[in-house]
Amino acid sequence: MTRPSLLRRMSTLPNRIGQRIGLFDHIPDGLPPGATPPRHTFRWDLDKTYLRTEFDSLSDLVKSAVETAADKQAYPGATSLLRALRQDGHRICIVSGSPTQMRQVLAAKLALDGVDYDEFVLKNNLKNLLRGRFRSLRAQIPYKLPAMLQSRIGAAADAETLFGDDAEADAIIYCLYADLIADRVSLQDLERVLIASRAYDDDAIRILDLARRVPRHDAVNRLFIHLDRRSAPVGFRHYGPRLVPVFNYFQAALVLYADRVLSARQILFVALEMLDSKQYELGHLATSVQDVIRRGRITRETALLLAAEAHEAAKSGALSGRNDLPPFELIADAFRKRVQELGPISPAPIEPDAPLDYVRLVDEEHDHRRSRRRGGH
Amino acid sequence: MRAKATWRGVRDDETGGIAAPERARRADLYGKMTVMHRIVVDAMGGDHAPDEIVQGAAEASLALTGSEIILVGDAGELGRLLPRMRHDGARVRVHHAPTFIEMDEKPAEALAAKPDSSIAIAADLIARGEGDALVSAGNTGASVLACARRWTLLQGVRRAALAAVFPTELRRGEKDDPFSLILDVGATIEATAEDLVGFAVMGSAYAKLVSQNRRPRVALLSNGTEAGKGPPSIVAAHAALVETTELNFIGNIEGLDIPRGVADVVVTSGFTGNVVLKMLEGVSETVVRLARYAHKERLTWRLGLIALSSAIDQLKAITDWQQYGGAPLLGFTTPFIKAHGRSNARAINNAIRVAHKMLAGNLCGNIARTMAELDERNHRRPRTHGDVASESGAGS
Repeated sequence: MTRPSLLRRMSTLPNRIGQRIGLFDHIPDGLPPGATPPRHTFRWDLDKTYLRTEFDSLSDLVKSAVETAADKQAYPGATSLLRALRQDGHRICIVSGSPTQMRQVLAAKLALDGVDYDEFVLKNNLKNLLRGRFRSLRAQIPYKLPAMLQSRIGAAADAETLFGDDAEADAIIYCLYADLIADRVSLQDLERVLIASRAYDDDAIRILDLARRVPRHDAVNRLFIHLDRRSAPVGFRHYGPRLVPVFNYFQAALVLYADRVLSARQILFVALEMLDSKQYELGHLATSVQDVIRRGRITRETALLLAAEAHEAAKSGALSGRNDLPPFELIADAFRKRVQELGPISPAPIEPDAPLDYVRLVDEEHDHRRSRRRGGH
Repeated sequence: MRAKATWRGVRDDETGGIAAPERARRADLYGKMTVMHRIVVDAMGGDHAPDEIVQGAAEASLALTGSEIILVGDAGELGRLLPRMRHDGARVRVHHAPTFIEMDEKPAEALAAKPDSSIAIAADLIARGEGDALVSAGNTGASVLACARRWTLLQGVRRAALAAVFPTELRRGEKDDPFSLILDVGATIEATAEDLVGFAVMGSAYAKLVSQNRRPRVALLSNGTEAGKGPPSIVAAHAALVETTELNFIGNIEGLDIPRGVADVVVTSGFTGNVVLKMLEGVSETVVRLARYAHKERLTWRLGLIALSSAIDQLKAITDWQQYGGAPLLGFTTPFIKAHGRSNARAINNAIRVAHKMLAGNLCGNIARTMAELDERNHRRPRTHGDVASESGAGS
């Protein structure tokens, strides 16, 4: 009895204070009436996908909470990639599991990086705590799935690309979302998944309602999982060819180039940001190309076409003022050489999309998380 | 020596035409020249290849972020294995080699019949300047021969030496290392006095770097501790080493001093070193077999062994050769770690780490510098009895 009344009392606080302490949900407005729907929506997770965040231990959590915007580090190449997507007029929606109290600092970080976005949803864990919903504190599916469905109801694009990481259940949530809006998962199946993911009843009813109303279209053609924990890529093979595990954002950019979403010039800027981070050298980028070819995510022909187009972009001034780099012809030669080093082999074919048993996947994820907790990492 | 500055990972061979002054100018201007160590791994060599080799390389790629690991072998097979393992895809690359040399093949014949074998291509990559260090768990003879035919020796070094580690009673260095180094164990069958001095320099430099032993004790293996004991090459080497200030030469030691750990670096010819190493291995195996016999024979002995089991496990952990990864082949301008044929992923991971350490610590450069200093002194000093004995082949 005390918990709801406390919540009710806090809800009556002046709006500014309520927002300040992160009590209120931030529900995206969606498109204004009569506005043209977006062509392509890019949905990004934040922690471990865009931002280098550690929250494996209590000290990591504390550190993450007290860090200033300037202290926070984005993964090399992610900022350029987001900027490039935004410049092309695509819709950027950020759904993060960070608490709403972090909004100011995270928004400041995105502003510092020059990343503009349309939606920025954070998890209201204070509300969960006040309502005694402790399961919701860690739950991912009952939080992210409705946030994405709500967003799509507000602004449905023909195409969607999703970015997540290997730390949480992003691969499951994103595939479930993709299959749900493509009408490959029924509401009955969704209900079973929500039960398996231990969603509270009222949350499950709300999610089912959103799923009923969401515009149906096979819109999600690409999902990227940033291998922050350096998980074995084969662990994601059963999700089919649409899901691409990537070690870095140069690889994501390469796949988006193959998907005709990014231009060669935009890839150059992603590469330059990675080089400037000092965490990558040209050799690492060339090896990244070889890795995605070996895994069958792009073809040799695409890589060679990219080299030719990037050469044109470099000639037109994309690399002007970069005297710290060797001439582009030599960079391109090094990249071609990496491709040739693979010899005459052809990559193993990736299994086609097959129906996923989401209930089993959710159960496995719970077991996995439990064993990780027991193992102390 | 080979870890030249790069244009962020694109090496001299890849940047080709850029003139050195232009490179230097740009480096001065922007200070952005960096060094990335490229460690070439023969992925098809070893009893457990390629699975364990790829696993070890994958693990190493997660820790050695400043390096790149080049797996040489069947690209199809390696491409199938790598995604099954946790690794960093930007730091492990594959170089295709269609064939490989089996562990029991005759080295010279196999290398002639298989010029496109993984070890031949791996050694070629280094020779062309496309790699900075080599790790192989494959056929020892073929690996050493492939390197010897393609690589150049360091200035001042006449012969290469294969070094092996052996657990000893005494520990050494900042790491409390329980291993002493013995070289040569088979690369140079007959060694002259000059060769032995070179081995001493190389062994000392290696122990300094890898065992973090600031002043390793170097000794010659002989049939007596007196300076005049042993064949002419040992006597002459002793005379030369006594005069060096660069090395902590403690004189001659006998075979029984090796397991005691009297010296940190034991110098001998390849023939003797190989015999000693195999005898020491044989003794260890016999002890294990005797323990097994005792375990079966009497209940009281079995109980005794059970009571000792935790101590034996601890001893095994201390003297675990896998932590060293393998035997370094010293003397070339490029480091080469010859991992044990039975190497598992952990041993390969450690071998790669040791290779990385050798590159980061500029081991080859240190050896070359010491050899140059010795050479310069030899030119300055008057001829001694040792020189005459060495040249004439006479011994005392």
